[in-house]
Amino acid sequence: MKKLKDILDNYSGIDGYRVTEKTVLSYELFFVHRDLETVRSTDTTSTEVTVYVNHGEFEGESAFHVFKSMTEDDIKAKIKSAAARASLVNNKPYELPGKGELTAELPTNLDGYEPKTLGRMIADAVYDADDTEGGSINALEIFIYRDTTRVVNSRGVDKKQTVNRVMIEAIPTFTDEKQSVELYEDYRFTVFDKEKITAEIREKMKEVADRYRAEKPGKELLINVVLRPFETAALCGQLSYDCNYRSIYSHANLHKEGDDLQTGDGDKINLTMRGVIEGSENSAFFDADGAPLSDKQIIKDGVVCGSYGPVRFGQYLGIKEPSGNLGCIELGAGTLEDEEIEKEPYIECVSMSGIQIDLYNDYIGGEIRLAYLHENGKTTPVTGISMSAKLSNVLSTLRLSKKTDVVRNYKGPVKLLMKGVSVL
Amino acid sequence: MPFSTYLDGIREDCRALVDELGRYFGYVSILGTDVRSAAYSADRRMTGARDSEGECGFVIKMHSGRSFYEYSCDDVTGDKKALAEKIVNAVRTDPELDGRRIKTSVIKDEPMKKDFVRETDFSDYTDEYLLKVCKEISDKLCEKDEKVLNGICAIQTHTVSKLFITKNRELSQHYGWANGVKYVIYNDGKMAHARKSEGAGTLAEIIEKLYNGLDGVIDLAKHLAKAQPIKPGVYDVITDSSITGLIAHEAFGHGVEMDQFVKDRAMAKYCVGQYVASPITNMHDGASATLSVASYFFDDDGVLAHDTQIIKDGVLVAGLSDLGSATQLGTEPTGNGRRDNYRRKAYSRMTNTFFSKGTDKLEDMIASVKHGYMLFETNNGMEDPKNWQIQCTAEYGIEIVDGKLTENYVSPVVMSGSVPELLKSISMISDGFEVHGSGFCGKGYKEWVRVSDGGPNLKARVKLG
Repeated sequence: MKKLKDILDNYSGIDGYRVTEKTVLSYELFFVHRDLETVRSTDTTSTEVTVYVNHGEFEGESAFHVFKSMTEDDIKAKIKSAAARASLVNNKPYELPGKGELTAELPTNLDGYEPKTLGRMIADAVYDADDTEGGSINALEIFIYRDTTRVVNSRGVDKKQTVNRVMIEAIPTFTDEKQSVELYEDYRFTVFDKEKITAEIREKMKEVADRYRAEKPGKELLINVVLRPFETAALCGQLSYDCNYRSIYSHANLHKEGDDLQTGDGDKINLTMRGVIEGSENSAFFDADGAPLSDKQIIKDGVVCGSYGPVRFGQYLGIKEPSGNLGCIELGAGTLEDEEIEKEPYIECVSMSGIQIDLYNDYIGGEIRLAYLHENGKTTPVTGISMSAKLSNVLSTLRLSKKTDVVRNYKGPVKLLMKGVSVL
Repeated sequence: MPFSTYLDGIREDCRALVDELGRYFGYVSILGTDVRSAAYSADRRMTGARDSEGECGFVIKMHSGRSFYEYSCDDVTGDKKALAEKIVNAVRTDPELDGRRIKTSVIKDEPMKKDFVRETDFSDYTDEYLLKVCKEISDKLCEKDEKVLNGICAIQTHTVSKLFITKNRELSQHYGWANGVKYVIYNDGKMAHARKSEGAGTLAEIIEKLYNGLDGVIDLAKHLAKAQPIKPGVYDVITDSSITGLIAHEAFGHGVEMDQFVKDRAMAKYCVGQYVASPITNMHDGASATLSVASYFFDDDGVLAHDTQIIKDGVLVAGLSDLGSATQLGTEPTGNGRRDNYRRKAYSRMTNTFFSKGTDKLEDMIASVKHGYMLFETNNGMEDPKNWQIQCTAEYGIEIVDGKLTENYVSPVVMSGSVPELLKSISMISDGFEVHGSGFCGKGYKEWVRVSDGGPNLKARVKLG
């Protein structure tokens, strides 16, 4: 980094620069059934340089990669070429984030273990849940990462953050002589807790056994549907994307400040973009520009009340203090209790192929791989169904649980109740 | 641009490291990658010209007779003995896992030395010219209708150099691919997005395709701004080649990736030799099966490209394998071992996947539908190879009534249901054929690789919602 910074500082044909260096150390285990198929380890660094050139009323920028294979002359040639490209790019000028130094690390206990020991402990935690008759874990992938990101720019930013994280991909399966079914489990954490991992996988083992017993409902339904955090996070992601400075600047946003998304009597949506959410691997202390992050509420009581995003597009929109590009989403808790959900028949989605949300076409839907139909005091696993609804109706009438959880970059209600959804 | 001079100059270091690691492992390979990408874009308010995704590094694959080991790094120069020791230490496992290893057959390391090149015309075009093309197209789109909020045009070139070395094998390949897209954000009381993506081996083709059909994108945006949601139900559908490809890819392609066979994750494992589709159906995959975005000369395991027939006259005949899965299954690898990049593991992956053309005329197919939809433009899809369910989302559909396309557009359209039911419902296949080389495919929710898919128009019966 020092050599690269020296070259850039002394290069006369550019007016500014930003360097992003990401080092990833990983240890990975891949199991087929219970046997180890592949062991992987990585030690790689990727470096991207963006140079800025002012020309006339415009500012242009262009980026390139610096590889370990490059000599000093190679790097100088890349800078020259990028500067020439930048002089062809006619964008509105903006100011890079100014002086700031930081070294930060997300809280973790993962760095207290040797990777090979931690890998085995995680595998043990997963396979401890593999004790159901007819059940098995047909595949398991464990990724232990230590990511260090450093951003340096020509205005004095020099920030570094480190995230220790684990991703598990497990395939719980249930098999007998008639058929075999599976579910997909993607579980991520920054703090190792053996019991929590085993409990998470055990829950999936139970669900996959239910998928085996699941049947397609005999008729089309117009029914309440409950979403879990993974799908609720996807919905929040779509709503937040619409409030990003970049979407607004490029005219891609559907909603604007003051728009009321909820005309009905459901729980009101309160959506806040955050830099750090405890337990989320997506937490960050600064964004890709090295800009500090300020949490920002974007929807208050169902009404769009703000926007967020990269400094550049914030400045383009005339925002005095841009928030920085916040990566975590918090949806405020609602008032919904389980007893209230039970008052009417409902379908509780457990696994979807991928929820489809289309703001422009006012649509929410998707194929459901496993759900529970709760009706007349009975719970029946169902599969082979698809749901669809008008998104505006869902937003207006949705109910949100009091209980919250953290899943990936989302913190919020564990249940989102959609009313009157078509299920085929 | 020729084959990477960096990779060319590091062959001896790779050979020396293979030799050194050969003291510890029966099989050692090194894949060196040098991938460069450039991206140009323009819209109403911004322009861009930059290097896009790129990589330059090494992945070393080792086999002990039981498990596989891999180490990814940025550099293989310097003291080979020290590097080999570092690698061996980095892939050590906890002793408690020592007794839990897969069983495999021996990896064949058949001798071959060859350099493969597919020329591009990328160096014929300057940055200035490509930006001018993007800006002109963006301006033309914006000028066509006052309801156009933004008109976007982007061009990307992708140049790949790869070097593969084992004790007996030394292969290199160099090729490129270009993509382009024109895109409109339109507001006619309701917002709509319309796009047309292109892929080709040369920039000349991409530029020509981008300039063509500007009115078509605007017309599509106008229709999409008036599109309604579809009434959920089971319909007769005619697919455009993009949706045909999506079905080939999601409904069946993922299910015949043979690393899923190893894990007992694919129903297809038990269906080889059986009818899985209508008897008029034929399907292929392969890096050498057609020229598109996934056309390489050898895969990331150093296996030469194949053209694999997956379905023959409705019968499942073969799957797609990487070196690891083939070694476990005792079969020959089919050249489908692909990595997201040198930092990631190789899996069995699709390349160019398509249904073969049939004999029906598209107009006859549309005329045969009493009430249904013609579906266009892939949005996304999700596989479920174990349970053979699919979800495929088309950007839009046009209603067919009494054998004629109407002006009624529906969007989005989510196809879902049982794979065998869908494939067995195929009743007509057109004599047209197009493969779309602008897609990416993930395995689960990660491991993104460039893929193409397509084929003729199909007539089938599916659940839409």
